[in-house]
Amino acid sequence: MYIEKRRPSWLKKRLVLSDNVKQMKSILSGVDTVCESSLCPNLNECYSRMFATFLILGANCTRACSFCSVDNNVPKAVDPKEPKKIVSIVKKIGLKYVVITSVTRDDLPDGGASQFARVVRSLKRYRQDIKVEVLVPDFNGNKKSLEKVFDAGPDIFGHNTETVKRLYPLVRRGADYTRSLDVLRAARDFPGRHLVKSALMLGLGETDDETIAAMTDIRKAGCDILTIGQYLRPRMANMPVSRYLKLPEFEKFKQIGRGLGFKYVSSGPFVRSSYFAEEAYFKCINAPGVADERVCGIMMLARL
Amino acid sequence: MTDVKLPPIAEGVDKASVSYLHHNAGDNVKSGEDLIEFVTDKATFNVPAPVSGLLKEVLVSEGDEVKVGQVLARIE
Repeated sequence: MYIEKRRPSWLKKRLVLSDNVKQMKSILSGVDTVCESSLCPNLNECYSRMFATFLILGANCTRACSFCSVDNNVPKAVDPKEPKKIVSIVKKIGLKYVVITSVTRDDLPDGGASQFARVVRSLKRYRQDIKVEVLVPDFNGNKKSLEKVFDAGPDIFGHNTETVKRLYPLVRRGADYTRSLDVLRAARDFPGRHLVKSALMLGLGETDDETIAAMTDIRKAGCDILTIGQYLRPRMANMPVSRYLKLPEFEKFKQIGRGLGFKYVSSGPFVRSSYFAEEAYFKCINAPGVADERVCGIMMLARL
Repeated sequence: MTDVKLPPIAEGVDKASVSYLHHNAGDNVKSGEDLIEFVTDKATFNVPAPVSGLLKEVLVSEGDEVKVGQVLARIE
Protein backbone atom coordinates (compact mmCIF):
# COMPACT_ATOMS: atom_id res chain seq x y z
CA MET A 1 0.00 0.00 0.00
CA TYR A 2 1.34 3.40 -1.02
CA ILE A 3 1.23 6.00 1.72
CA GLU A 4 2.20 9.64 1.70
CA LYS A 5 3.10 9.63 5.37
CA ARG A 6 3.82 13.26 6.03
CA ARG A 7 0.46 14.86 5.54
CA PRO A 8 -0.07 18.19 7.27
CA SER A 9 -2.29 18.39 10.34
CA TRP A 10 -5.15 20.10 8.51
CA LEU A 11 -5.49 17.13 6.18
CA LYS A 12 -6.79 14.77 8.82
CA LYS A 13 -10.41 13.81 9.05
CA ARG A 14 -12.19 12.47 12.09
CA LEU A 15 -14.25 9.44 11.13
CA VAL A 16 -17.89 9.42 12.14
CA LEU A 17 -19.09 6.39 14.07
CA SER A 18 -22.60 6.05 12.74
CA ASP A 19 -24.87 3.19 11.71
CA ASN A 20 -25.99 5.38 8.81
CA VAL A 21 -22.75 4.58 6.98
CA LYS A 22 -23.48 0.86 7.00
CA GLN A 23 -27.08 1.49 6.05
CA MET A 24 -26.07 3.71 3.13
CA LYS A 25 -23.58 1.14 1.88
CA SER A 26 -26.26 -1.49 1.86
CA ILE A 27 -28.87 0.75 0.14
CA LEU A 28 -26.34 1.89 -2.48
CA SER A 29 -24.98 -1.58 -3.20
CA GLY A 30 -26.79 -1.90 -6.56
CA VAL A 31 -25.54 1.36 -8.08
CA ASP A 32 -22.26 3.20 -8.58
CA THR A 33 -21.37 6.29 -6.60
CA VAL A 34 -18.52 8.69 -7.24
CA CYS A 35 -17.98 8.62 -3.48
CA GLU A 36 -16.70 5.07 -3.79
CA SER A 37 -15.21 5.13 -7.29
CA SER A 38 -13.07 8.15 -6.49
CA LEU A 39 -12.07 6.84 -3.03
CA CYS A 40 -13.43 10.08 -1.64
CA PRO A 41 -12.05 11.02 1.78
CA ASN A 42 -15.45 12.52 2.66
CA LEU A 43 -17.39 9.29 2.11
CA ASN A 44 -17.71 8.36 5.76
CA GLU A 45 -18.88 11.88 6.66
CA CYS A 46 -21.35 12.22 3.77
CA TYR A 47 -22.82 8.73 4.23
CA SER A 48 -23.27 9.45 7.93
CA ARG A 49 -25.46 12.39 6.94
CA MET A 50 -27.20 10.17 4.36
CA PHE A 51 -25.84 11.90 1.27
CA ALA A 52 -24.25 10.32 -1.78
CA THR A 53 -23.46 11.30 -5.37
CA PHE A 54 -24.61 8.88 -8.05
CA LEU A 55 -22.26 7.85 -10.86
CA ILE A 56 -24.29 6.93 -13.93
CA LEU A 57 -23.36 5.30 -17.26
CA GLY A 58 -21.22 2.64 -15.61
CA ALA A 59 -18.05 2.77 -13.55
CA ASN A 60 -15.68 2.52 -16.54
CA CYS A 61 -14.41 5.75 -18.07
CA THR A 62 -13.20 6.20 -21.65
CA ARG A 63 -10.60 8.74 -20.53
CA ALA A 64 -7.69 8.30 -18.14
CA CYS A 65 -7.14 11.58 -16.33
CA SER A 66 -4.04 11.40 -14.21
CA PHE A 67 -5.73 12.68 -11.03
CA CYS A 68 -8.64 10.24 -11.06
CA SER A 69 -9.05 6.74 -9.64
CA VAL A 70 -12.13 5.81 -11.69
CA ASP A 71 -11.38 2.75 -13.85
CA ASN A 72 -10.37 3.32 -17.45
CA ASN A 73 -11.84 0.21 -19.01
CA VAL A 74 -14.14 -0.92 -21.79
CA PRO A 75 -17.45 0.76 -20.94
CA LYS A 76 -20.62 -1.25 -20.49
CA ALA A 77 -23.87 -0.87 -22.44
CA VAL A 78 -26.14 1.88 -21.13
CA ASP A 79 -28.61 0.46 -18.61
CA PRO A 80 -32.17 1.48 -19.56
CA LYS A 81 -33.29 0.68 -16.01
CA GLU A 82 -30.78 3.07 -14.46
CA PRO A 83 -33.16 6.05 -14.03
CA LYS A 84 -35.68 3.80 -12.25
CA LYS A 85 -33.00 2.29 -10.02
CA ILE A 86 -31.81 5.74 -8.97
CA VAL A 87 -35.32 6.96 -8.20
CA SER A 88 -35.95 3.90 -6.08
CA ILE A 89 -32.75 4.47 -4.07
CA VAL A 90 -33.45 8.20 -3.70
CA LYS A 91 -36.86 7.21 -2.30
CA LYS A 92 -35.31 4.73 0.12
CA ILE A 93 -32.82 7.26 1.47
CA GLY A 94 -35.36 10.07 1.42
CA LEU A 95 -33.08 12.41 -0.54
CA LYS A 96 -34.56 15.74 -1.55
CA TYR A 97 -31.33 16.98 -3.12
CA VAL A 98 -29.67 14.65 -5.59
CA VAL A 99 -26.32 14.97 -7.36
CA ILE A 100 -25.83 12.97 -10.55
CA THR A 101 -22.49 12.63 -12.27
CA SER A 102 -21.00 10.19 -14.75
CA VAL A 103 -17.87 8.81 -16.28
CA THR A 104 -16.89 10.21 -19.68
CA ARG A 105 -18.44 8.15 -22.48
CA ASP A 106 -16.68 9.18 -25.67
CA ASP A 107 -17.94 5.89 -27.18
CA LEU A 108 -21.57 7.03 -27.15
CA PRO A 109 -22.81 9.31 -29.96
CA ASP A 110 -24.28 11.81 -27.48
CA GLY A 111 -21.70 11.15 -24.75
CA GLY A 112 -24.48 9.86 -22.48
CA ALA A 113 -26.47 13.12 -22.46
CA SER A 114 -29.79 11.34 -23.06
CA GLN A 115 -29.22 9.19 -20.00
CA PHE A 116 -28.56 12.29 -17.88
CA ALA A 117 -31.82 13.77 -19.23
CA ARG A 118 -33.75 10.58 -18.46
CA VAL A 119 -32.45 10.45 -14.90
CA VAL A 120 -33.24 14.13 -14.25
CA ARG A 121 -36.76 13.77 -15.68
CA SER A 122 -37.44 10.58 -13.71
CA LEU A 123 -36.41 12.29 -10.48
CA LYS A 124 -38.58 15.33 -11.22
CA ARG A 125 -41.52 13.05 -12.04
CA TYR A 126 -41.07 11.24 -8.74
CA ARG A 127 -41.11 14.49 -6.77
CA GLN A 128 -41.73 17.91 -8.24
CA ASP A 129 -39.89 19.71 -5.45
CA ILE A 130 -36.77 17.55 -5.66
CA LYS A 131 -33.59 19.45 -6.49
CA VAL A 132 -31.29 17.83 -9.01
CA GLU A 133 -27.69 18.80 -9.62
CA VAL A 134 -25.86 17.34 -12.60
CA LEU A 135 -22.10 17.23 -12.97
CA VAL A 136 -21.42 16.36 -16.59
CA PRO A 137 -18.40 15.52 -18.75
CA ASP A 138 -17.58 17.83 -21.67
CA PHE A 139 -19.56 15.75 -24.24
CA ASN A 140 -16.72 16.70 -26.59
CA GLY A 141 -18.27 20.14 -26.73
CA ASN A 142 -21.35 18.82 -28.57
CA LYS A 143 -24.04 21.53 -28.27
CA LYS A 144 -26.91 19.12 -28.98
CA SER A 145 -25.81 16.84 -26.17
CA LEU A 146 -25.56 19.78 -23.77
CA GLU A 147 -29.01 21.01 -24.76
CA LYS A 148 -30.49 17.59 -24.02
CA VAL A 149 -29.28 17.97 -20.45
CA PHE A 150 -30.36 21.63 -20.11
CA ASP A 151 -33.83 20.75 -21.48
CA ALA A 152 -34.38 18.16 -18.75
CA GLY A 153 -34.35 21.02 -16.22
CA PRO A 154 -31.62 20.35 -13.66
CA ASP A 155 -31.43 22.91 -10.84
CA ILE A 156 -27.67 23.06 -11.02
CA PHE A 157 -25.62 22.36 -14.12
CA GLY A 158 -22.04 21.53 -13.18
CA HIS A 159 -18.96 20.92 -15.25
CA ASN A 160 -15.59 20.80 -13.55
CA THR A 161 -12.72 22.74 -15.02
CA GLU A 162 -10.48 20.81 -12.57
CA THR A 163 -7.19 22.62 -13.21
CA VAL A 164 -5.46 25.58 -14.85
CA LYS A 165 -4.95 25.91 -18.60
CA ARG A 166 -1.24 24.96 -18.67
CA LEU A 167 -1.76 21.68 -16.81
CA TYR A 168 -4.55 20.30 -19.00
CA PRO A 169 -2.30 18.03 -21.12
CA LEU A 170 -0.80 16.58 -17.94
CA VAL A 171 -3.92 16.35 -15.76
CA ARG A 172 -6.83 15.91 -18.20
CA ARG A 173 -5.60 14.19 -21.33
CA GLY A 174 -8.36 14.25 -23.95
CA ALA A 175 -9.97 17.33 -22.45
CA ASP A 176 -9.52 20.94 -23.49
CA TYR A 177 -9.53 24.02 -21.27
CA THR A 178 -11.34 26.21 -23.81
CA ARG A 179 -13.88 23.48 -24.51
CA SER A 180 -14.67 23.18 -20.80
CA LEU A 181 -15.19 26.94 -20.57
CA ASP A 182 -17.45 26.71 -23.63
CA VAL A 183 -19.54 24.09 -21.81
CA LEU A 184 -20.06 26.55 -18.93
CA ARG A 185 -20.82 29.35 -21.39
CA ALA A 186 -23.43 27.21 -23.15
CA ALA A 187 -25.05 26.51 -19.77
CA ARG A 188 -25.16 30.22 -18.97
CA ASP A 189 -26.65 31.11 -22.36
CA PHE A 190 -29.37 28.45 -22.32
CA PRO A 191 -32.68 29.91 -21.18
CA GLY A 192 -33.22 27.69 -18.14
CA ARG A 193 -33.44 28.21 -14.38
CA HIS A 194 -30.31 26.25 -13.60
CA LEU A 195 -27.33 27.70 -11.79
CA VAL A 196 -23.91 26.99 -13.28
CA LYS A 197 -21.22 25.37 -11.16
CA SER A 198 -17.57 24.39 -11.59
CA ALA A 199 -14.67 23.10 -9.51
CA LEU A 200 -10.90 23.40 -9.32
CA MET A 201 -8.34 21.15 -7.63
CA LEU A 202 -5.22 22.82 -6.27
CA GLY A 203 -1.83 21.35 -5.47
CA LEU A 204 -1.20 19.93 -8.96
CA GLY A 205 1.69 22.27 -9.74
CA GLU A 206 -0.18 25.45 -10.67
CA THR A 207 0.94 28.91 -9.62
CA ASP A 208 -1.36 31.27 -7.74
CA ASP A 209 -1.51 33.56 -10.78
CA GLU A 210 -2.60 30.65 -12.94
CA THR A 211 -5.30 29.74 -10.41
CA ILE A 212 -6.60 33.31 -10.38
CA ALA A 213 -6.56 33.40 -14.20
CA ALA A 214 -8.60 30.16 -14.29
CA MET A 215 -11.05 31.52 -11.71
CA THR A 216 -11.44 34.68 -13.78
CA ASP A 217 -12.07 32.67 -16.96
CA ILE A 218 -14.61 30.45 -15.19
CA ARG A 219 -16.46 33.47 -13.82
CA LYS A 220 -16.42 35.19 -17.21
CA ALA A 221 -17.91 32.03 -18.73
CA GLY A 222 -20.96 32.61 -16.53
CA CYS A 223 -20.33 30.28 -13.62
CA ASP A 224 -22.32 31.02 -10.42
CA ILE A 225 -20.81 28.54 -7.95
CA LEU A 226 -17.16 27.59 -7.62
CA THR A 227 -15.67 24.92 -5.38
CA ILE A 228 -11.93 24.73 -4.68
CA GLY A 229 -10.22 21.78 -2.97
CA GLN A 230 -6.86 20.13 -2.36
CA TYR A 231 -5.83 17.46 -4.87
CA LEU A 232 -5.14 14.18 -3.07
CA ARG A 233 -3.43 11.33 -4.88
CA PRO A 234 -5.80 8.37 -4.84
CA ARG A 235 -3.25 5.71 -5.83
CA MET A 236 0.43 5.38 -6.66
CA ALA A 237 -0.47 5.28 -10.37
CA ASN A 238 -1.97 8.78 -10.15
CA MET A 239 0.05 11.96 -10.34
CA PRO A 240 1.76 13.08 -7.13
CA VAL A 241 0.59 16.01 -5.03
CA SER A 242 2.77 19.00 -5.90
CA ARG A 243 2.03 20.78 -2.62
CA TYR A 244 -0.45 20.99 0.22
CA LEU A 245 -2.06 24.41 0.37
CA LYS A 246 -2.48 25.91 3.82
CA LEU A 247 -5.87 26.89 5.21
CA PRO A 248 -5.29 30.67 4.82
CA GLU A 249 -4.52 30.08 1.13
CA PHE A 250 -7.92 28.44 0.63
CA GLU A 251 -9.50 31.39 2.42
CA LYS A 252 -7.59 33.78 0.16
CA PHE A 253 -8.98 32.10 -2.98
CA LYS A 254 -12.46 32.18 -1.48
CA GLN A 255 -12.19 35.96 -1.05
CA ILE A 256 -10.78 36.36 -4.56
CA GLY A 257 -13.71 34.32 -5.89
CA ARG A 258 -16.18 36.53 -4.10
CA GLY A 259 -14.45 39.57 -5.54
CA LEU A 260 -14.79 38.09 -9.01
CA GLY A 261 -18.55 37.95 -8.53
CA PHE A 262 -19.30 34.26 -7.92
CA LYS A 263 -22.59 33.86 -6.04
CA TYR A 264 -21.04 31.18 -3.86
CA VAL A 265 -17.49 29.94 -3.35
CA SER A 266 -16.60 26.93 -1.25
CA SER A 267 -12.87 26.57 -0.65
CA GLY A 268 -11.03 24.19 1.67
CA PRO A 269 -8.76 21.15 1.60
CA PHE A 270 -11.57 18.57 1.61
CA VAL A 271 -13.98 20.53 -0.58
CA ARG A 272 -15.17 18.55 -3.59
CA SER A 273 -17.77 19.69 -6.11
CA SER A 274 -20.58 17.72 -4.50
CA TYR A 275 -19.43 18.11 -0.88
CA PHE A 276 -22.33 19.78 0.94
CA ALA A 277 -23.77 20.52 -2.51
CA GLU A 278 -27.24 21.20 -1.13
CA GLU A 279 -25.82 23.86 1.16
CA ALA A 280 -24.12 25.65 -1.75
CA TYR A 281 -27.39 25.62 -3.68
CA PHE A 282 -29.43 26.76 -0.68
CA LYS A 283 -27.06 29.62 0.11
CA CYS A 284 -26.81 30.59 -3.52
CA ILE A 285 -30.53 30.87 -4.18
CA ASN A 286 -30.77 32.91 -1.02
CA ALA A 287 -28.22 35.41 -2.37
CA PRO A 288 -29.43 38.86 -3.39
CA GLY A 289 -31.17 38.78 -6.73
CA VAL A 290 -31.81 35.06 -6.73
CA ALA A 291 -33.88 34.69 -3.56
CA ASP A 292 -36.53 32.00 -3.61
CA GLU A 293 -37.96 31.67 -0.11
CA ARG A 294 -40.23 28.78 -0.97
CA VAL A 295 -37.37 26.62 -2.15
CA CYS A 296 -35.24 27.76 0.81
CA GLY A 297 -37.98 26.50 3.12
CA ILE A 298 -37.96 23.11 1.46
CA MET A 299 -34.20 22.94 1.70
CA MET A 300 -34.35 23.74 5.40
CA LEU A 301 -36.74 20.85 5.88
CA ALA A 302 -34.49 18.59 3.85
CA ARG A 303 -31.67 19.25 6.27
CA LEU A 304 -33.74 18.51 9.41
CA MET B 1 -16.80 -2.85 27.91
CA THR B 2 -17.12 -1.09 24.53
CA ASP B 3 -15.20 -2.27 21.47
CA VAL B 4 -13.67 0.41 19.27
CA LYS B 5 -13.76 -0.73 15.64
CA LEU B 6 -12.40 0.75 12.42
CA PRO B 7 -15.49 2.20 10.72
CA PRO B 8 -15.98 2.06 6.92
CA ILE B 9 -13.82 4.62 5.10
CA ALA B 10 -14.57 4.01 1.41
CA GLU B 11 -15.57 0.95 -0.60
CA GLY B 12 -12.24 0.66 -2.35
CA VAL B 13 -10.39 1.03 0.94
CA ASP B 14 -10.97 -1.88 3.27
CA LYS B 15 -7.76 -1.51 5.23
CA ALA B 16 -5.63 1.26 6.66
CA SER B 17 -2.34 1.61 8.52
CA VAL B 18 -2.14 2.78 12.10
CA SER B 19 -0.01 5.93 12.02
CA TYR B 20 -0.40 7.31 15.55
CA LEU B 21 -1.86 6.26 18.89
CA HIS B 22 -3.25 9.31 20.68
CA HIS B 23 -3.67 7.33 23.91
CA ASN B 24 -2.22 4.33 25.67
CA ALA B 25 -3.92 1.67 27.75
CA GLY B 26 -4.70 3.05 31.19
CA ASP B 27 -5.62 6.54 29.94
CA ASN B 28 -9.01 8.06 30.62
CA VAL B 29 -10.63 9.08 27.35
CA LYS B 30 -13.61 11.25 26.53
CA SER B 31 -16.31 10.34 24.01
CA GLY B 32 -15.57 11.97 20.63
CA GLU B 33 -11.87 12.66 21.15
CA ASP B 34 -9.29 11.22 18.76
CA LEU B 35 -8.09 7.78 19.75
CA ILE B 36 -6.19 6.25 16.87
CA GLU B 37 -4.91 7.79 13.63
CA PHE B 38 -4.84 5.90 10.34
CA VAL B 39 -3.47 6.57 6.90
CA THR B 40 -4.82 5.30 3.62
CA ASP B 41 -3.33 6.03 0.20
CA LYS B 42 -5.42 9.16 -0.10
CA ALA B 43 -5.95 10.66 3.32
CA THR B 44 -5.40 10.53 7.07
CA PHE B 45 -8.25 9.70 9.43
CA ASN B 46 -8.81 9.66 13.17
CA VAL B 47 -11.07 7.19 14.91
CA PRO B 48 -12.78 8.85 17.87
CA ALA B 49 -13.65 7.21 21.19
CA PRO B 50 -17.28 6.06 21.00
CA VAL B 51 -17.76 6.46 24.78
CA SER B 52 -15.99 8.07 27.73
CA GLY B 53 -14.13 5.82 30.13
CA LEU B 54 -10.93 3.98 30.89
CA LEU B 55 -8.97 2.79 27.87
CA LYS B 56 -8.56 -0.79 29.00
CA GLU B 57 -6.73 -2.25 26.00
CA VAL B 58 -5.16 -1.02 22.77
CA LEU B 59 -4.99 -3.97 20.40
CA VAL B 60 -2.99 -2.35 17.57
CA SER B 61 0.44 -0.77 17.25
CA GLU B 62 1.75 1.97 15.00
CA GLY B 63 2.52 0.53 11.58
CA ASP B 64 -0.11 -2.22 11.81
CA GLU B 65 -2.41 -2.72 8.88
CA VAL B 66 -6.00 -3.19 10.04
CA LYS B 67 -9.24 -3.97 8.31
CA VAL B 68 -12.59 -2.20 8.41
CA GLY B 69 -14.60 -3.69 11.27
CA GLN B 70 -11.53 -4.88 13.20
CA VAL B 71 -11.52 -4.25 16.96
CA LEU B 72 -8.79 -1.69 17.75
CA ALA B 73 -9.27 -1.02 21.44
CA ARG B 74 -11.58 -1.57 24.38
CA ILE B 75 -13.00 1.10 26.67
CA GLU B 76 -14.46 0.36 30.11
